[in-house]
Amino acid sequence: MSVLQFPRVLIWLVASLFLVAGSATCTQAAEEMKIRAVLVWATDDANPPAGKNYQPVAAEIRKRLRALKWKNYFEVKHIDFTASSLSHKSVPVSDKCSLDVRALGNSQVEVTLIGKGKVVGTVKGALPKNEILVPGGDAPNDTAWLVILKRLD
Amino acid sequence: MTETDHSAADDRVLVRAAQQGDMTAFEELIARHRDKIYARAYSMMRNEEEAIDLSQEAWVKGWQRLAQFHGESGFGTWMTRIVINLCLDQLRKHKRQRTESIEEMSEESGGVERQMPVVTVNPTAGLERGELRQRIDRALGQLSYEHRTALVLHEFEELEYKQIAKVMGCSIGTVMSRLFYARRKMAALLADLKNEDGK
Amino acid sequence: MMEYNDQLKLQAYLDGELPEGEAARWAERLARDQEAAALLTELRQTRECLGGFEEGVKLPETREFYWSKIQREIERLETPRPAATATLTVWARLRRLLVPAAGLAVVAVAALVAAYRSGPTMVATETAVADSGAMIYHDYAAGATFVWLSYPADDDVADIDEEATLD
Repeated sequence: MSVLQFPRVLIWLVASLFLVAGSATCTQAAEEMKIRAVLVWATDDANPPAGKNYQPVAAEIRKRLRALKWKNYFEVKHIDFTASSLSHKSVPVSDKCSLDVRALGNSQVEVTLIGKGKVVGTVKGALPKNEILVPGGDAPNDTAWLVILKRLD
Repeated sequence: MTETDHSAADDRVLVRAAQQGDMTAFEELIARHRDKIYARAYSMMRNEEEAIDLSQEAWVKGWQRLAQFHGESGFGTWMTRIVINLCLDQLRKHKRQRTESIEEMSEESGGVERQMPVVTVNPTAGLERGELRQRIDRALGQLSYEHRTALVLHEFEELEYKQIAKVMGCSIGTVMSRLFYARRKMAALLADLKNEDGK
Repeated sequence: MMEYNDQLKLQAYLDGELPEGEAARWAERLARDQEAAALLTELRQTRECLGGFEEGVKLPETREFYWSKIQREIERLETPRPAATATLTVWARLRRLLVPAAGLAVVAVAALVAAYRSGPTMVATETAVADSGAMIYHDYAAGATFVWLSYPADDDVADIDEEATLD
């Protein structure tokens, strides 16, 4: 190969690499995980607020929350969804904040807390089957909010 | 850093190395025995994904408990016991969650197998090994968890009645009934499949 | 038709589970009882066709992929192997920075506060959080990872509109 041909070969090589990388990205299948998100209100109060028909969380979930200090855990709502690597799924925590959940593949998820329209924090971690991942935070009157993420698949 | 080639080493040598913390030795053990462990989990769970998960969980537990393995049995045998226990735990969870069908309750109470006509045709006659395996696979999937477990523990794991009773938490009489039902049902299913396929 | 108990005994004979004397009596009976002999043949054939069934079953994953998940799980559980690299907990890092007694007192107070907030011992995890005020702990026995974010909810979670939809 002559000196004059070398740059041309280099350009082709780089172009080929971009082509391969680009096609790999385009053809990459979306990673999906079926998840249940359970919004829970943690409190020492024996009953939910007046007018709210929240039920205590399932016993199986309750057992897993043993590390936390509150006496009672009420399920506010739950939603089943499929988290994808290509889009976020939004889970409202309160009127002003929500969690965005994205599947990363290999049982990994990314959970972003959005407060008042801004990103407050992001957690990336494992969500193996038969385990739960629980983002949470303090709420008024010494209560707390939890979002229990559990695999359904 | 040069890696030791474990491919020619005996299982006992690999186990000793793994007990000293050599993960590549453990990985070689997994490579040798993974099909057997997976097959046992699949026979019991009848679900590929669950069988993969449980077999992997068994390997992790095996790693954690390596110090307790003293070579009284083969390493593969020791591992199959671990995966069987995990499968049994999982099956018990499934049982608590599902509603029993009327058919299953009738199977449990027994009776039908006493009156099944004896199958006189040999289910293996004229079949290729692969074809027979497929039929057995289909037939196993039609047994209830209790009957299939008794069958797997006896026929594949070669446990005695009293060992099966201990593992399944039931009486020897119950083991005998379940095993008998499973065998008779398998014979009938294999004969039916033979007729369906026209062979 | 054979009695059910006899059918079970016949099975036990096939499986070698009968005492010697009883097994010998069954051997004699089988020579003259066609019904029992036919049933024994069926049970034996079923057993024979099951033999070797599992040998043909193959794990449907490559060696490397299957191992990678096991390896990751072993490392995650932090099995006591010398080569493992420990990830320091928040409190362990703090202890390193504050060796003097005064520093230890600060650490003790902070640990008490954290214990009051959340109860359990802080445990390192692989979960990464882009929130400097966040705390993570993993309850291995319960299979739960808690990520305590520093952002408090302004409103009571209990007052959330139950009909609020997602997306």
